[in-house]
Amino acid sequence: MSWFSSRGSGPRKEQGRVQTEVVEPDVHRSLALAALCEEIRRRKLQVLDLGSAVGSNVEFLSQYGCKLFIEDLYAALASRTTGSDGELAGPGFFAEFLSLPEDTRFDVVLAWDLFDYLQRKELAAFSEQLRNLTNRGALIFALVSYHKTIPAQPYRFRIKDEQHLIYERRTGADRPSPRLAPAEVTGLLKGFRVDRSFLLKHGIQEYLLVRE
Amino acid sequence: MVWKKSDDPPTHHPEPTPAPRPMTASAPTPSPAPTSIQNEPPRRSSTNATIGPSIFIKGDLSGEEDLVIEGRVEGKVDLKQNNVTIGKNGRVRADVFGKVVIIEGEVDGNVFAREQAILRQAGAIRGNITAPRVMLEDGSRFKGSIDMEAPKETGGGSSSRHSDREANRPEATGVKATA
Repeated sequence: MSWFSSRGSGPRKEQGRVQTEVVEPDVHRSLALAALCEEIRRRKLQVLDLGSAVGSNVEFLSQYGCKLFIEDLYAALASRTTGSDGELAGPGFFAEFLSLPEDTRFDVVLAWDLFDYLQRKELAAFSEQLRNLTNRGALIFALVSYHKTIPAQPYRFRIKDEQHLIYERRTGADRPSPRLAPAEVTGLLKGFRVDRSFLLKHGIQEYLLVRE
Repeated sequence: MVWKKSDDPPTHHPEPTPAPRPMTASAPTPSPAPTSIQNEPPRRSSTNATIGPSIFIKGDLSGEEDLVIEGRVEGKVDLKQNNVTIGKNGRVRADVFGKVVIIEGEVDGNVFAREQAILRQAGAIRGNITAPRVMLEDGSRFKGSIDMEAPKETGGGSSSRHSDREANRPEATGVKATA
């Protein structure tokens, strides 16, 4: 059971100064989440959560009766063995990562802030895999930072309610932000288009991307 | 027998009991009010059947009382009417059927709980959970899917029928292992 031995929570490429103080989680309004919940409540959906397993999110989503798949992308990236430093995850990695039953198709993908933690080529390869695993009209919920730096590890997002997300930092260290522009996001995520997008006051752009 | 019990053997009941309950005859204190599943998930009782840390079972487990697994099990754990706890030392490579299923150890297989599945902080599941209520504690590891629809009588197959048959027998208490 090798899966059990790798918790995969280590920093992928820690950059910047490590701060030791405890950072309180922030609560931010999420307009895209509110829009997403409107979609989810209409029918029973298959939801893919690419973040780590968070009990309160499972509880929140349970009210919609959806079937939830949890596949921790960042942990998988962190625990993979790379031949040389800086090697990118390719289509093979993502195909193995999302090796699900053939008929599995998702209606909603919770990508959280993970796009900020993929190189551009990785994001393009991952979107190809997502395209194969989503139904037409499926929604991707993603958050992209416009700050110069982002935490060295993705936030742990906790759904507070339909309109608010709690951002929990896992580390005090920072790394440079890729600062993906909207055109880049749509350019890299081929087969998806921006359905709705919200620029929030705290420098985060929220996206609901829809599978064409 | 490849499991051990942490308490005396069950007393023989002259009449079939509608639902198996912990053996409280030897309990040191009077039985408190039943634990509310809604508010407080059942904790391990001293009257559970226990598969100890040094025990390895390959095959199917079925029975009519609550079970704690601290050892290794490969096959199937089928206690639909009872609570199943995979303890911190438990390593299960099997589908697990129970009323309330609590995982503190590691499960490589699917979990079917009639009432609730609880993945504790130290626990890990690689497989799918089907239960009307699911609780994941922070820090737990989970890879798979969660289906929180009200469960049908899932996955029982022949074992399910076997289990029902056994439940009607007054002497059918305890946990059975079949290789």
